Amino acid sequence: MFLQYKFLIIMRAIWFVAQIAFFGLIASRMVVPDLADIYFEYYIAGVIIMMLYSASVFIGYDIFEEAEHGVFEYLLSLPVSRRELVFGRSIGGGIRSFVFVGPLIAISLFVIGLVNPLNFLIAFSALFLFAFGVSGMSITIAVGLKSSDRFDILMGALNAFIIRLSTTMYPLAFIQDASQVYAALTSFNPVTFASDLFRWGVGIEKYLTMNPMPLAAIVGLVIFFSAFTFIGVTFYERRLEGGGWK
Amino acid sequence: MPIIRTIGLTKRFEDLVAVDHLDLSIEEGEIFGLLGPNGAGKTTAVLMLSTVIKPTEGTALVGEQDIRKNPADVRRLIGICFQEPKILWVSTPWDVLNWHAKICGLSTEERKKRVKQVLEDLNMWDYRQKNVHGLSGGMRKRVEISKVLVQRPKIAFIDEPTAQIDVVGKHKIWNRIRELRDEGSTIILATNELHEADILSDRVGIMHKGKLLVCDTPKTLKDTIVGGDIVEIQLEKEVAQRALEELKNFQEVVDVITVNPNNLRVYLNKAEEVVPQIMKLFLKKHLLISSIHMSEPSLDDVFVHYTGLTIEAAEQKGPLRWGH
Repeated sequence: MFLQYKFLIIMRAIWFVAQIAFFGLIASRMVVPDLADIYFEYYIAGVIIMMLYSASVFIGYDIFEEAEHGVFEYLLSLPVSRRELVFGRSIGGGIRSFVFVGPLIAISLFVIGLVNPLNFLIAFSALFLFAFGVSGMSITIAVGLKSSDRFDILMGALNAFIIRLSTTMYPLAFIQDASQVYAALTSFNPVTFASDLFRWGVGIEKYLTMNPMPLAAIVGLVIFFSAFTFIGVTFYERRLEGGGWK
Repeated sequence: MPIIRTIGLTKRFEDLVAVDHLDLSIEEGEIFGLLGPNGAGKTTAVLMLSTVIKPTEGTALVGEQDIRKNPADVRRLIGICFQEPKILWVSTPWDVLNWHAKICGLSTEERKKRVKQVLEDLNMWDYRQKNVHGLSGGMRKRVEISKVLVQRPKIAFIDEPTAQIDVVGKHKIWNRIRELRDEGSTIILATNELHEADILSDRVGIMHKGKLLVCDTPKTLKDTIVGGDIVEIQLEKEVAQRALEELKNFQEVVDVITVNPNNLRVYLNKAEEVVPQIMKLFLKKHLLISSIHMSEPSLDDVFVHYTGLTIEAAEQKGPLRWGH
């Protein structure tokens, strides 16, 4: 199953290495010298979350491919409830994205190091919720739109906003300096929650935000995950049917 | 009590009426042929009954479960062989069937046994580890129908079971479908191959432009065509005018054409009942029959009778559009 996406994995891995080796390394030189190394680590963590986000979104494209080949209709005819089907796809999409991103997380841990294993375990679990939530969101949007063109446009736009209005690439303090509106949006962004938690988990967030324990991020991710799996299922049960895909 | 009953079942896709107020009953344990040209609404009806798509209007009871209210319960009763093979992300016939059997709740031992048996029965054993995407259309279709044969559901929907399959393969599949019925499954066979429906179905329903035109046993439907049976009679000597008139007086005889003085072509109904009487008449008149050949109308003729179109012409006209 995973070999089916070997080209995607290779492309993403090259992108990851290029982002760190070129962009991360050069951009960190723009930061005051004392914080250059920390920003480099900060950026690596952000890239990991971006990768996890884009890998989790990919399940929506799978849904279109399945619809195109009729597999989606086959799945809908099987003796499983819609709830089980959608929940299974969300969880499957989340786990798959973790398998894709897992080696990159290992590389980042090697570069950044690990301060507190317990913190990392909490953050890692929260990242699972994030991946499942993004997969659920991607499936919800795909099923809701039933048009690959519209899905492409919306996901492109969403990606542009959700990544840029998050703390993946820059700390919240700088966003606040730029715009209070941006900062408000960034504060309620699941990508921000995931980024903050991951940095907290690997022990670099304290240098930048001084958050003792990002409870808000954990709660935010739990809400995000719940919204697109449990509550989203109600939507799927009403909307989900074969046919009419474009 | 019917195992499937549709009540005004309707599906519209924007301005297209794919299925138009379908009222249909299917009895438990029968093979029901749903006939019609491409675009008649057969597949859409099957997809609604299997809860894959939702009706716009009306509903259906499948195994006493309402497809709108209890779709999950309906899905526990059914198995479906799609028109186009649906191949999963798993890559070999063995994996496709094993995965299907697993999701349908068969134990490891049982599914291994059934998958092996079906693959052998349909001559696919040697292909079990090949990549399905590299198989021919006919072989992929065999994989598709094998899902239902492995599953053995209470109600099996089979859409175009032998499309792209060679003659030998067709007979194998027809035999397996009959065996499935004999084991207790009810089978709904959607097809535009009228011969296939004729030889397999206990009853058939003919759909055209989303509507059910007629529904009965193939024999009864053929008998509804007035003068649909044809009997060719070759006599030893010239037929007498009086015998000819007596022949025309049979209630079931619609027309008699004298092809030549020794050869008659009789258009009639219920040939199997009338032919012995005709033979008796000629014997009484000392007219020896050298050969007799009966032919009955096919379901193609039945389709033409009810629609005024051949199935090919009906396919060219396409389905009904809303408001047209």
